[in-house]
Amino acid sequence: MELKVTNLTKKYGSFTAVNSLDITMNNGVYGLLGINGAGKTTFMRILCTLMRPTCGQITCNGQEIFSMDGQYRRILGYLPQDFGFYPDFTLQDYLLYVASIKALRPAIAKKRVKELIEKTGLEKAVHKKMKKLSGGMKRRAGIAQAMLNNPKILVLDEPTAGLDPNERIRFRNLISELSEDRLVLLSTHIVPDVEYIANEILLMKDGMFIKQGTTEQLIATMEENVWKCHVDKNKVPWLMKNHRISNLKTDSNGVQLRIISKEKPVPDAVIEEAVLEDVFLYYFGEKDGMENAAI
Amino acid sequence: MLQYELKKIFLKPVNKIILLLLLVATVAGSFLAIRDVKYYRKNQPPLSGTSAAKYLREEQNKWKGPVTEDVIKHIIKEKKKINSSNEPEDAKFAMSQGFHDITSLISVAFSEPGEYDYYLCDSISPEKASKLYERRISRLKKEITKIEEGLEGSFSKSEKEFLLNQYNNFKTPLYYEYAEGWKALLDSQYLPTLMIITIVIIAFFVSGIFSDEFRTKADSIFFSSMLGRNKAILVKIKAGFLTVTVIYWLTMLLFSAIILGMLGIGGAGCMVQINFSNWACMYNITYLQDWILSMFGGYVGNLFILTLSMLVSAKSRSSVIAITIPFFLSCVPMFLGRVPALKNIVTLFPDMLLRINKFLGDFIFFEIGGKAFGIFTILIPAYLLLFFITLPILYYSYKKQ
Repeated sequence: MELKVTNLTKKYGSFTAVNSLDITMNNGVYGLLGINGAGKTTFMRILCTLMRPTCGQITCNGQEIFSMDGQYRRILGYLPQDFGFYPDFTLQDYLLYVASIKALRPAIAKKRVKELIEKTGLEKAVHKKMKKLSGGMKRRAGIAQAMLNNPKILVLDEPTAGLDPNERIRFRNLISELSEDRLVLLSTHIVPDVEYIANEILLMKDGMFIKQGTTEQLIATMEENVWKCHVDKNKVPWLMKNHRISNLKTDSNGVQLRIISKEKPVPDAVIEEAVLEDVFLYYFGEKDGMENAAI
Repeated sequence: MLQYELKKIFLKPVNKIILLLLLVATVAGSFLAIRDVKYYRKNQPPLSGTSAAKYLREEQNKWKGPVTEDVIKHIIKEKKKINSSNEPEDAKFAMSQGFHDITSLISVAFSEPGEYDYYLCDSISPEKASKLYERRISRLKKEITKIEEGLEGSFSKSEKEFLLNQYNNFKTPLYYEYAEGWKALLDSQYLPTLMIITIVIIAFFVSGIFSDEFRTKADSIFFSSMLGRNKAILVKIKAGFLTVTVIYWLTMLLFSAIILGMLGIGGAGCMVQINFSNWACMYNITYLQDWILSMFGGYVGNLFILTLSMLVSAKSRSSVIAITIPFFLSCVPMFLGRVPALKNIVTLFPDMLLRINKFLGDFIFFEIGGKAFGIFTILIPAYLLLFFITLPILYYSYKKQ
């Protein structure tokens, strides 16, 4: 399975949501990381043929996806950010309906729905109305519907947004489990979600991929160090104004800081090993007081 | 897939309530229509509904059969006999109910054009009255002329030709029997009112078929699925068609079944002209044919208007806007028709198809190539064609979303 994106651009008037994207993806989990408004959803919606690009193209094993039409969508599974459903349907009816529009034969659909309900731990909710499911259950129902056709390409847009930590971990594990032998593109702005399960991470900003690689490769691209230090409370505003603060923890003796900086921010600061969150902050974070601070 | 599309429609709590309201309206409408059947008794309050029907059937079926010249003479003699009795006026009327339809026809036929002398048949001779059918044509000819004189250019040459042709083709003698069930069903205002209620209610069901995908934000999954841009759309159209068809026909059949079941199905073969309110009707059809025409025409009107509503729903992604279409198309033309400049244009609106039974006696024509036709001869196939044209537009509009 090869999904090749070439010079993909989407413009809304003078605003460019997706800007000349080029990437070739094969089987494996791709984590799309970026702040809100980076163009992740637009990119994913184009990948799912929900909107046409202004220019550029996407090919699947050499064939343009829009001309493949239903044949492309046959191998596609999509969980949108705003997962919509039919509120008066039971979970079972909902999944059987989605199976029908995915062209699964009724007998196969029933079997597949049963399997996925078990896999997503939704056995007790099978006859519950969709509107009565909890947030976590809805998300699991969302992944179940995306997996109904056993897709070769699975696109998950912010699948863990709004979930509590337990549900998030559970969901992450589920995605890991389902990612075998397929191409999974997972977008999020929650760093640990991709850190644990993605084989390759794409950093997206202003509609462009600014970096891509494994966690280690991305850490290696950082031109600044990660420092750990303990300072007085009154020094914090100055440090926040001049450095990117990855973490801040107040204790009785002052404040413990994790700082991203080229230079040693304070004399007693010590170098720490960088993690993906530091990379995220390095590329997307703004120093306090800067305009348009994103995070 | 179809069963789930239908489930989406019928599982909505609001739709269940609306369906119940339609059922109530249908039953209430049919009982009101039944209640309007009256039988007047000597020195007693009149009967209504099924008990009235029982006596009317008995009285009217005494005159069952072709209304020949001899029968007309007999009726006039009978009427004179009743009139010469010492009974009060109310009682005289009660005694003549069995042939009241025929005497009303005689009165209207022998009155001067543009007038109606209710008591005319009290003074007419049996011989003169027996020429009812010849008089009908000559009276209608005069009527056409009188209308023409009053309103210049009311009838074109081809319209006049068409009318006279229809009147000359009217088969006589008329067949008469008790037909109160059909009259209550077709010659009252309840049927068109119910048709309007039905179309507005069905609009609640079908207006969300396309837009609800967006309202519920389920559109992304729908359109990214294999059949989301082809078969699934066809199934939505099919669900809409089935919803319109099933609700419309169940409502109309229930309404008809209650009325005809309570008042009787006798008189299906009587010409609609047997009721004096239809006496100038240019459509030479029986009550059964009137029912078929009204029902089928109403169905075509429903199909077209509601498919248009679905198209608006698919285009605008809003069921609110879509619901207003049937309301606008079925109710507003009635008021627009009061504006003289729009009088002719509104006769081409699809709401006409919901009121066929009420407009059957009106002179509404459509001319093609110098030849005139009754408006419904044109409207039914025209809107059926428009319905079929709307379907691919609906399909491709939604596909492009």
